[in-house]
Amino acid sequence: MQELVLIQPGSAARSEWVREAAQADARREFEERLRECGPLAYRVARGVLRNAADAEDVAQEALLRAYRGFDRLRDRSRFRAWLVRIAFRLALDRLRSAKRREQRDTLWSQPAHLPPPATAEDIAVSNQFQGHLERVLDELPEKLRLVLLLSAMEGYTIDEIAEMVGVPTGTVKSRIFIARKKLAEKLRCHANTIKMP
Amino acid sequence: MPCEHYKDALTEAAATGVGPQGALRAHLTACDSCRAAFEQEQSLFTAIDSGLHAAANAEVPPSLLPRVRAGLDEVAVAPPPRWLQPLVFASAGVALAFVVFLIARPYHATPENVVRQGPVFAPTAITPGTNANPGKIPAAAAETASTGANPSHTARNSTFFHPVASSNPQVLVPADEHEALARFVATLSQRSDVATAFLAQTPERKDALVSPDLLQIADIEIKPLEGGEAEASHSVGEKR
Repeated sequence: MQELVLIQPGSAARSEWVREAAQADARREFEERLRECGPLAYRVARGVLRNAADAEDVAQEALLRAYRGFDRLRDRSRFRAWLVRIAFRLALDRLRSAKRREQRDTLWSQPAHLPPPATAEDIAVSNQFQGHLERVLDELPEKLRLVLLLSAMEGYTIDEIAEMVGVPTGTVKSRIFIARKKLAEKLRCHANTIKMP
Repeated sequence: MPCEHYKDALTEAAATGVGPQGALRAHLTACDSCRAAFEQEQSLFTAIDSGLHAAANAEVPPSLLPRVRAGLDEVAVAPPPRWLQPLVFASAGVALAFVVFLIARPYHATPENVVRQGPVFAPTAITPGTNANPGKIPAAAAETASTGANPSHTARNSTFFHPVASSNPQVLVPADEHEALARFVATLSQRSDVATAFLAQTPERKDALVSPDLLQIADIEIKPLEGGEAEASHSVGEKR
């Protein structure tokens, strides 16, 4: 049986041209947002992963994912919130897989988690507390952790954080308060290592 | 150790960063241990905020944006969902096939055509020798006479009749009439005169509305009886 194909001469070239123009527009618009939101994605990932290389990988992946779905984002003003959620989710996934890998590796090797050698007492005390803080930060519930990280970043108001997370301003405030109290409860035993700036 | 009564209030005041208010403020001026505990709580929260700030505002590596831009060059904006394109082609193909079928099919039997076609009997009708009991119809014969070998095919194409598609024509009959038809076929095979009568060309009826000829009655001719009256009276007199 002869194969039949429906074609409309002329319409294919036009649709191709329209598609390319739309792609160029999307690329231009995305690049404008990239300058502002790229660092944000990195810092969210860095706050979760506490590792610069992993955070860069995750931020890149989050930005590329956002670009792939950029034309499906109807409300472009929600881009920042959307990107933050993507980066946070990817960073959590990577953190969990890293923890699993770490647990697996510890089964086969001698425990070698020795504290970093202190070159000076102040640095040692400061690093020790920072280590405790970041470890305790990992134990916070996700919704508290994201809000706390965003509130600690420079340049974002409570209203902007509320918009990014998609909750009311009052909820953001209460989450910050609860998160800080939880951190304080867990870090109080390490208070003697606090080195005030 | 702070006073147990003010312990939570101290933490709350340090966490909010607003500072002690009211009764707590008055108590702190009087109680050295609570004041020391409050200062320690403040130090703790300051350290937490400082650590959070350091963790959340890490220096962005300069290689990030060039890496992302290089990735953008490789990634096209997401095309439409992959499942949509085959679905469109499949729908178009089905529609096209249906249109071709409608155009290309050779014959479409309407109920009027089926009636005009008249009954067509399967050639595998029962022979007299094989049917010892005319009242009892074998199932195979009933099936042959009624719908043919493929009931599902008949059900799907119940409105079609293809006279040239097969040398073994089939007849469509209602399900509750197939046994009666089978008996009829058996009867026809036994009595050729009935079959002949059915196959004989019926004379064409002329217009049924033609009125019959009027009854032609000739004029009444009255003739006098000759001698009949005398004979009648005579016979009456004899009986008396």
